[in-house]
Amino acid sequence: MREVLAVVFREYLIRRTSPTWLFFDLAVPLLYLLMFGVAFDKALGHGLRIGDAVVPYNAFFLSGVLSMSSFGSAMNQSYGFFVDRDNGIFYEFLTYPMTRGQFLFGKILFQCLMAVVQCFLTIAAGTLILHIEIRWELLLFVFAGMTVGTAGWFFFLAIVAFRIRRNDTFNTVINVAYFVLMFLSSMFYPLDQVPSWLRAIAWVNPLTWQTDALRFLTIGLGSFSSFVLQVLGFGAFLALSFWFAVRTLQKAV
Amino acid sequence: MQNVTSVEMENGKEILRLMRTDHPKQALDFSLMSGAAIEVHDLVKTYQKRHHKPVKAVRGLSFTVRRGEIFGLLGPNGAGKTTTIKILTTLLAPTSGSARVFGQDVVADPLGVRKNICVVIQENAIELYLSVCNNLRTFGRFHGLTGRQIDGQIDRVSDLFGLREYLNEKGMDLSGGLKRRVQVAKTFMVEKPIVFLDEATTGMDAFNKRRTIDAIKEESRKGRTIVLTTHVLDEAEELCDSVAIMNHGRIIARGSVEDVKSMSLRLLYLTLSLAAVSDDLLRAIHIRNPIAVDIKDTTIEVTVREATEALDVLAAVRQTGLLRHFEITSASLEDVFLQLVDTKESAS
Repeated sequence: MREVLAVVFREYLIRRTSPTWLFFDLAVPLLYLLMFGVAFDKALGHGLRIGDAVVPYNAFFLSGVLSMSSFGSAMNQSYGFFVDRDNGIFYEFLTYPMTRGQFLFGKILFQCLMAVVQCFLTIAAGTLILHIEIRWELLLFVFAGMTVGTAGWFFFLAIVAFRIRRNDTFNTVINVAYFVLMFLSSMFYPLDQVPSWLRAIAWVNPLTWQTDALRFLTIGLGSFSSFVLQVLGFGAFLALSFWFAVRTLQKAV
Repeated sequence: MQNVTSVEMENGKEILRLMRTDHPKQALDFSLMSGAAIEVHDLVKTYQKRHHKPVKAVRGLSFTVRRGEIFGLLGPNGAGKTTTIKILTTLLAPTSGSARVFGQDVVADPLGVRKNICVVIQENAIELYLSVCNNLRTFGRFHGLTGRQIDGQIDRVSDLFGLREYLNEKGMDLSGGLKRRVQVAKTFMVEKPIVFLDEATTGMDAFNKRRTIDAIKEESRKGRTIVLTTHVLDEAEELCDSVAIMNHGRIIARGSVEDVKSMSLRLLYLTLSLAAVSDDLLRAIHIRNPIAVDIKDTTIEVTVREATEALDVLAAVRQTGLLRHFEITSASLEDVFLQLVDTKESAS
C-alpha cells in the first residue's frame, strides 16, 4: 500500500502545481451540464418520453455528464503518461520498487478520488441549481460507479497511451474515440428512439453501460435486471483493460 | 593519458610526484555479504519490430560483478551497454540467457531486483512541474523513506550535490546539468546495495562532475556496488575497480583497469620540456631507436617500448643540460579502448 500511496502523493503534488488541470478535472463536465443541459432542457420543453415515463432532459443528461467526467478524467490521466515520458521520469518510475500494477493502481486511485469529488459537485449543482431529483440513498453507489467507470476508462486509455509514441497521434486517436463513443452511447439521447444500427452499436459500448447504470442509480431510470447486466459488462471491461494495461506497460520501454 | 609519475625541476631540485590516488575500500555491510552482486549468463537481446530486420543489441553476454566493486561497462555508441543496463534494471526483458541482480532473477523476480537497486537512467528524468525539493521528496517516498528520514536525506544530498539554493526551483527552470545533478542526487538518498549509473555525469560541468565522482567513490567505500556506463574513459579509469569493454553487443575485454590496460602494446610516452631543441639532442634521442619522436616547439614526445629505454633517453637528454621538465606516461584506458574497438572493427 505504501507504494500506491507514494504514487497518489506524487499525483497530488503535480495537480497542485497546475490549476488549469484541476479546473479541467473538476469543472468542465459541470459546466457542460449547466450550459448544454439547460439549453436542451428548454429546447425539448416537456422533457423526454422514455417508455411510459417523462423525464426532464437535465435529469436524463446528469448521468451522461457523470460518464463524461469519468472518461475525461481518465483521458487526462492517461495523457499524463506522455508528459512523464517526455520528462523521462516514466522510465525511472519503472525501476522503482513497486509492481506495474501498483503503479497503475496508484495513478487511478488519485484520479478516482478526483472523479468522486467532481461527481459530488455535479450532483450538488444538479440538485441545487437545476432541481434534479436524486436518489440520495444510493449516492455511495453512484460514487462507486464513478470509481469503477474512471478506472475502466483509464486502463483502456492507458493501453492506447503505452502503444502510441507520438503525442499528436494519441490526441487524435483519443479525441476521435471520445467523439464516437459519446455519440454512439446513451449519453445525450435515449436509445429507443434512434435507428436500429445505432442502437446495436450503442448496446456494446461500455460508455452506454456506465451511463445507464449511473442513470439507474441517480434518477431510477431503467430496470434492475439491465442495471445488473450493465454492471457485470463494465466489470468485465475493467478487468480486461487492467490486464491488458499491465501487460502493455511491461513492454512499454 | 594517465600520469604515473611526474618529475619537475624546481630550483635545481627534482620533485617526484605520484599523481594516482588509491581509494581502498572500507569493508562494510553490502560488500561483506557473500556472492556476486550481478551474474549475467549468455544474455541475448534482439529487438524485433514489425516490417524491420531484427537488431541484435546484445549477443551472448556473460560477466560477474563482485559485491562492493565499481564496475564500468564501456563501449562506443550502439555497443549494447544501455540495453544491458535496461535488462539488469528490469526495464527490458532479455530474449534469452539469464541475469541475476543481488541473487534475484530479472525475469522471474523483477520486483525483488528493483528492491535492491537505484538507477540513473540515460535520459534526463525529472519532474518538470515539481520543485527540486519535491522531486527529492517523491523519490524518497517511492523508496520507502518516512517523512523525517526524507527531510534528513534532502539535507544531506543538498549539501553533497550543492542543491540547497535550488530546492525551491521547479524542474523546468533548471539547466540540463542541474537536472542531471538532481537525478543523481536522488539515488544517493536511499541505501540500496546496487546503483546503476547510465552516463550519469552527462551534461555536468567539471566542478559538478568532480562532486559526483567523489560522491560515487564515497558510496563505494560504504560497500555499495556501482555499475556505470560512461563515454568519459578518464572517469572510468579513476572510478572503476573493473571494466568490461563492449562492442557490437559482445564483451571484447574484461578485467581490472590495469588488466585491460595491459592488453595494449605496453607503450610508454616520455614528454620532455626543453630550454631549446638542438641537433645534438635530437641525435642523442634517435640513436636509441625510439618508436616515434614528435616535436612541437620546445616539447618532444618520445614513444618507447620499455621503461629502461625511457630512462636511457632521459639520461641522454639530461646530459645536454636543456631539460626543464619531463613526464613518463603509460597507455590510458582510452588508448586501449580505441585500440581494441578499432582492432575488432577491422577484424569484423
